[in-house]
Amino acid sequence: MTDLLWLVIVLPLFGSVFLHFFGRRLGEPVAGWVATLAMAGSFVVAFGAALPFFRGTGENLQVVLWEWMPAVGATFELTWDPLAALMTLIVTGVGSLIHLYSIGYMSGDERFSRFFVYLNLFAASMLTLVLAGNYAMLFLGWELVGLCSYLLISFWFTKPSAAAAGKKAFVVNRIGDFGFMVGLMLIFTSFGTLSYAGIFERAPEVLDTGVATAIGLLLLVGAIGKSAQIPLYVWLPDAMEGPTPVSALIHAATMVTAGVYVVARSAPIYQLAPFAAGTVATIGALTALWAASIALAQNDIKKVLAYSTISQLGYMFLGVGAAAYVAGVFHLMTHAFFKALLFLGAGSVIHGMADEQDMRKMGGLARHMPITAITMGVATLAIAGIPPFSGFWSKDEILGVAFEAGGWFVVLWVVGVVTAMLTAFYMTRQFVMVFLGEPRWDEGVHPHESPRTMTVPLLVLALLAFGGGFVNTPWRTGLEHFLEPAFEGVAVAQPPKELSTFFLLGGVSVVAGVLGIVAAYLAYRRPAEAWRRFQESLGAPWRWWEQAYRVDDLYGALVVAPGKALAERAAFSFDLRIVDGAVNGVAWVVRRVGTALRPLQTGFVRNYGVVFVAGTVAVVAWLLVVGRGI
Amino acid sequence: MIFPDVSWAAIAPEIALVAGAVAILLVDVQWKPEPRVLGGIVALSVVAAAVLSVGQWFRLDTPSDITIPFGGMIAFDRVSVLARFVLLAVTAMGVAGGWRLFERLGRRAAEALALVLLATVGFSFMASSIHLVMIFLGLEVGSISLYVLAGITRERPDSDEAAMKYFLLGSFASAVFIYGVALLFAGTGRLALLGQRAFLDANIVTRPAVLLIGMALVIVGLGFKVSAAPFHTWAPDVYQGAPAGVVGFMAAGAKIGGFAALTRILFTGFPLMADEWASVVAIISALSMGIGVVLALVQDDVRRMLAYSGVAHAGFILTGVVAGAAAEPGIWFYLAAYTIQLVAGFAIVAAVTGSAAGRSGLDAFAGLAVRSPFLAAAFTVTLLGMAGIPLTSGFVAKFGVFVSAWQAGFSWLVIVAVLASVVAFGVYLRVIVVMYMREPGEAASPTPSTAARWMLVAATVSTILFGVLPQPLLDLARNAFSV
Repeated sequence: MTDLLWLVIVLPLFGSVFLHFFGRRLGEPVAGWVATLAMAGSFVVAFGAALPFFRGTGENLQVVLWEWMPAVGATFELTWDPLAALMTLIVTGVGSLIHLYSIGYMSGDERFSRFFVYLNLFAASMLTLVLAGNYAMLFLGWELVGLCSYLLISFWFTKPSAAAAGKKAFVVNRIGDFGFMVGLMLIFTSFGTLSYAGIFERAPEVLDTGVATAIGLLLLVGAIGKSAQIPLYVWLPDAMEGPTPVSALIHAATMVTAGVYVVARSAPIYQLAPFAAGTVATIGALTALWAASIALAQNDIKKVLAYSTISQLGYMFLGVGAAAYVAGVFHLMTHAFFKALLFLGAGSVIHGMADEQDMRKMGGLARHMPITAITMGVATLAIAGIPPFSGFWSKDEILGVAFEAGGWFVVLWVVGVVTAMLTAFYMTRQFVMVFLGEPRWDEGVHPHESPRTMTVPLLVLALLAFGGGFVNTPWRTGLEHFLEPAFEGVAVAQPPKELSTFFLLGGVSVVAGVLGIVAAYLAYRRPAEAWRRFQESLGAPWRWWEQAYRVDDLYGALVVAPGKALAERAAFSFDLRIVDGAVNGVAWVVRRVGTALRPLQTGFVRNYGVVFVAGTVAVVAWLLVVGRGI
Repeated sequence: MIFPDVSWAAIAPEIALVAGAVAILLVDVQWKPEPRVLGGIVALSVVAAAVLSVGQWFRLDTPSDITIPFGGMIAFDRVSVLARFVLLAVTAMGVAGGWRLFERLGRRAAEALALVLLATVGFSFMASSIHLVMIFLGLEVGSISLYVLAGITRERPDSDEAAMKYFLLGSFASAVFIYGVALLFAGTGRLALLGQRAFLDANIVTRPAVLLIGMALVIVGLGFKVSAAPFHTWAPDVYQGAPAGVVGFMAAGAKIGGFAALTRILFTGFPLMADEWASVVAIISALSMGIGVVLALVQDDVRRMLAYSGVAHAGFILTGVVAGAAAEPGIWFYLAAYTIQLVAGFAIVAAVTGSAAGRSGLDAFAGLAVRSPFLAAAFTVTLLGMAGIPLTSGFVAKFGVFVSAWQAGFSWLVIVAVLASVVAFGVYLRVIVVMYMREPGEAASPTPSTAARWMLVAATVSTILFGVLPQPLLDLARNAFSV
């Protein structure tokens, strides 16, 4: 099947192009099925190609499709190693389920087929990113997923908030992309190539610590933007304006993990730059705690999940930063399962509640939406880190590595454990507020279970969210073994091998998780007035969390307002005619003809002449000084 | 008595173009034909010039094969031929893209088409001359033709204004340029670039002030032609006011001629003073990128946006100039990729808002995806190409010049350039969003001419093709230079 690897990207790409031209004619639901089939086909091909890795007989491959820019070592080549295979399976597998779900969720939308055009295009872009055999292709995927994310966040562009959210995501991500691009430049000028193979083999001889650190930090800037870490996380909560399947696929399961993937992929570089790696881990741990605390106090069902995603991505950063690449990627996988499930479940709730997203107006839904409630319950336990659900195994492996690494990382371990408790709390709070207790619905809301196309993906994901962790346990390190060929020559940090340490650390996190669950359950199973009073009794901290520490306001005051003022100023001083050129044009002609009319705006040519002369004088002066002409 | 060494082969393409221009004027006087016939003559002479250029390319054996006939005025080498290829492509596409304008001009189409051909001749000579006086002649022939073209519709005041403004500031720039030439002559006693280089090679200039001022003025004069900041102020007004049908050609032709002359002067004449001019070119480059991108971001008129984006692109290309002769293949790849996109962009603007009109508000593009999926798709590819998204020619182009600049030690400039490209993406995305995510108003569906349709297909295909398979074009460019 590895000969057909290109189909993995081409199938969804073809689906997207096909639907672009014929989607509207196919209509609902055929267009959705076409897209889903393209995705599923891609999964089948990827699975077939990955079989040798499962058997342990696979070899890392570079599949060259064509020579793109041979002069800079940028061939259009796919890399096929266990890491790429695992990511591909996650993207196509979870992607297929979410495509299927979208057929039900998007039914009735007037741009139904357009939605699948973008969704398939996103899948193709993400797969390009994952399968890239060099940084140039990675960059291609990187740019395209950003573009798709933007298109999908503002999918309902007639809603001003959606358009604004899209713009914000775009701008914040561009900041990250800037770092990423400079990083790529630095890689290219250091190695003379962008090909993974050429770079990773020679990294130890070519890079000194300084350059490696610089590259590591620059790539991290890009990763922070894409993966929504401090300080560039602010776009992700707003991105929830997009349709819920988009939140599940792009802003939880796949695209936002691109930053983690890039760090894992660049492991040979981070290995040479302990400071950069430590920065990755520290930012990850801080983000985990920061976002979890905000999630505690959110009332919008999707906002809770958005902050939770940021927090969980923080865990992954902590993992890959601590050189626990296997653990980081492991958590990426389990998180893709349970977080996609949570979002799809939330979507099911929103769908059943006639687009209500405020959890204060929910409650008691378990009776009306049993499948949604049960599957979301599984996901809640998984993310809360309760064994044997999947989240426990992956999260604990990360925490174990951090503990083993010692020194500063022990502090990060403590942060991680505290975060685990908060995670259990806010997830239980959400579950109780939505599914248990007395109904607090608005008038005229009749909750109902969602159609089959939506519940089947929920059930499949629930199965994965439950059992996905068994691929890598202290007794059976299947995933570690599987990923070994991808991290050849990289010292992957190990979790504690002794079972006693494992049980001790695992015990600590389980206690933290159970504490969180019990506390939230006790606080929120009571009637609404009681927990409202409880929330108020927490006073100022709660209000800060509820307002997300008012970071948006801060950025607004520090960056956005001055930026706007600067742009306006620049526009005013350099281009007086932005808005209306021809009015002045008439004036100018009129003046030349010599009529008596003399409006205020005259002498533009003279102004331009002045700029020109000033520029000329400056150039002359500069050259005279530089060339020692005087 | 000395007879100049005449080599008709060296200037055969230009002769074909001049013959075309003359034929158009004569035929028009005698038979007053339809504009289509005149268009045929343009096509014939452009094709003839292209075929002759291909012949020249193969007659020149190697990149370093250079003869300088006409008393050292003209360089007969592959660089000139390469520049002419790009120029001829832009001319053909410009005329095809703005065809509706020439139809509308009716009786005056002959003037306009003849001027287009003459401007092409001028810019072609800018690229193929290796003597400062000859470069100036090419520059004037090209510029004066453009001044007239800017005001060719005559009845619209803002078109007149554009022409007048272009003329006033342009002559100012030409004066600055020729003054610079005079000072370079004063400093070296020579006007031929190779002679100046030999002079600097053999002599140590102890008091270089005259030389430096001359160089500064030459850079400023050509900086004006390529619309580099701060000598760009004319560009937005002229692009906005001149008839949409010719702006693409005007902008692209001036960029090609300007950069051809600039690189020729700096790389052939004054490589020994690279330390001095590189620093000032780097500053102009950074300024152009910064000012171009920021002001492009706030425009509500697509043409002004394209004008400021042109300022930014001048800055991007200048990052290659900073790197010196080693970057020359990259510079020409960039020029080829970008000028084709520029001409395509204005062809679309002309189709959407009228080929003779001035001003093209962003609102006119609302919902273009519904009204004309073809134009919307072509514009999207063009804009993504300008933004430098991978798999478009723009990405390969940017990558090439940035790497050259970095390797030449101008990493700060590359960082500025990357920052500018990051922001610039927003400029182009804004237009794409308007086309795809805004409800179409009452406006009718635009109907580009058949010529314009084919031209847009060609431009779109080339943007993608040279992005996916850039190597042949890169090799071609590399084969033109001895580096």
